Amino acid sequence: MLPAAALMFTTQLTTLAPVDILILVLYFALVIFIGFYVKGATNTSEEFFLAGREMSAWVAGLSFVSANLGSLELMGWAGAAYQYGILAMHWYWIGAIPAMLFLGIVMMPFYYISKTHSVPGYLQLRFGEGARGLAAASFALMTILMSGVNMYAMALVMKVILGWNISFSIWVGAITVAVYVMLGGLRSAIINEVLQFVLIWAGAALIPILGLIEAGGWTKLKAQIAVNVGSNDYTHLWTTLGHFKDNPMGVHWTGIVFGLGFVVSFGYWTTDFLVVQRVLSANNLRAAKMAPVIGAAFKMAVPFIVIVPGLLALAVLKNPDGSVMHLVGENAVNAAHPYSYNEVLPLMLIRYCGPGLLGLGITALVAGFMSGMAGNVSAFSTVWTYDIYGAFINKKASDKHYVFMGRLSTVLGMFVSILTAYLVANAASIMDYVQALFSFFIAPLFGTVVLGMLWKRATKAGGFWGLLAGTLSSIAMFFYTSYGGQKALALIALSTDARPMAETLYRALWSWLICVGVTIVVSYCTKPIPEAQLAGLVYGATTIPDDGARGLFQKPIFWAIVVITVFFILNLIFF
Amino acid sequence: MAEGTGRGERLSIWFFVGMLTLVYGAVLAPYGAWEWFGNHEAPTVLNNLHPTFWWGCLMLVFGLFYTLKFRPSKD
Repeated sequence: MLPAAALMFTTQLTTLAPVDILILVLYFALVIFIGFYVKGATNTSEEFFLAGREMSAWVAGLSFVSANLGSLELMGWAGAAYQYGILAMHWYWIGAIPAMLFLGIVMMPFYYISKTHSVPGYLQLRFGEGARGLAAASFALMTILMSGVNMYAMALVMKVILGWNISFSIWVGAITVAVYVMLGGLRSAIINEVLQFVLIWAGAALIPILGLIEAGGWTKLKAQIAVNVGSNDYTHLWTTLGHFKDNPMGVHWTGIVFGLGFVVSFGYWTTDFLVVQRVLSANNLRAAKMAPVIGAAFKMAVPFIVIVPGLLALAVLKNPDGSVMHLVGENAVNAAHPYSYNEVLPLMLIRYCGPGLLGLGITALVAGFMSGMAGNVSAFSTVWTYDIYGAFINKKASDKHYVFMGRLSTVLGMFVSILTAYLVANAASIMDYVQALFSFFIAPLFGTVVLGMLWKRATKAGGFWGLLAGTLSSIAMFFYTSYGGQKALALIALSTDARPMAETLYRALWSWLICVGVTIVVSYCTKPIPEAQLAGLVYGATTIPDDGARGLFQKPIFWAIVVITVFFILNLIFF
Repeated sequence: MAEGTGRGERLSIWFFVGMLTLVYGAVLAPYGAWEWFGNHEAPTVLNNLHPTFWWGCLMLVFGLFYTLKFRPSKD
């Protein structure tokens, strides 16, 4: 994903009117109320960590897609659309839709019927304590650091857009999130994610609507972008991907299809517990299968409020003298170019939204940041309590004790996040390293989980060593390309014309292949697991129970086919 | 059962969605009307379309529909 450190702003952009503050205060009042309201239904560990497994497909599906719709993502990818054009759309379509459907149709039955509480929990059932410990420790570290990054990013955005004090934003955001997650656990987090999804659309949808009216429609927008940037490359999804040199991003279609579309997106959407936890809260197998399909349908629409504003900015943003405004990279901001790519969304918000609507947009951003923190903290407390504390420190505690530990780890996790936020405030480059942590673990983890689910011959030793080798190789490649310059990048991305964006995609692909290769070799060198022990965990050793669908319109596979068909049509339209 | 908020609770998650959008619509629509009819429009692009008023009305309708449809039942 995009470097969070890039979200630096230069000048305070606007101020809030009383009506904007009223809208913001109403949101805070509601989320605190919800925390207290659902506390009464959050007494057992299953209620606290998995929302009682009683969410419908719609709630779980919206929460699933919303967990990935944080403000850091929105602002970063709107900036990427300005910088790279419509290619940024790939991260929302091929970089998400196939993986989400695969999770729902192929993988969800195994997660769901194994009754695991977490992804590391599945690894324990399939590959033993070693793989679980490795995955749990890395995930817990990543999520808590990421929560701190979200916190700091929110404080920074509020400081620069509105001039708010950094510490004020950090503490208000942290205390609010800590209160509602500690009280209601995953249930609170999910309700707020659904609210955030509605708020994001309410706060941001006016930007593309008014922007397209101003630009005169999509065709005129494309023509204006071509005039302003002097190239047609910014509005084609695939035609410029034949060579690294032919597109603004410096990537090749193989990197997009195999690196992003296969490894990165499958790794993130099928094994990152932050998103998978939302689906595990579903109230039955059919809901668990439908939730990612519903999430995928909504995910396809998200570029309208993220990518389109970035493209519109290329066409409509003007300097006071009427000339085309050029946004630049963070390092190039100066008096002549006062705004960076990452200010696209706030700039477009201010362009079209006066008092009231501005408050709605700012509230949507705050909701996005807070729900990002809540998602990280709730996932952290689950993995900490089940897969670290309950697995290695205190195995025989009562259910009540684990709920207490969940609440305690929520508060302690929030304090660590606050420390991380202050750490990042003093050394912004830490943010980039925290985000890089995700890329170390996600691709190999997908290799381990998918082999575990689909290949009976994979053994415990194979799973552990494959995961370790894939992770270590990813870390090694990251440092090699960080310090090895263009030569190292050319070796990893297979072209001297590759740019940094290609590095992430190819590094993920290689680390996944290394994980799979090591898992296969070690598995063949070790004793197979008896098939009876694999029931409920592996394809071929498991009878998938009937999901209860009656009739075509209740079948998740039918809706998955509808979604993938729309996905192909959209790619052809914007080809 | 109220969807999403736990067994035994009366307020559904969709009720909260409805309430939030209803209240926001109730704030934005009158404010937009005051801007429009009182000539207090903010100097934004396309303010001649009165987006605050129309967006507020849309949220009011959406919120009203969800609040009524998912209002807590008596039983």
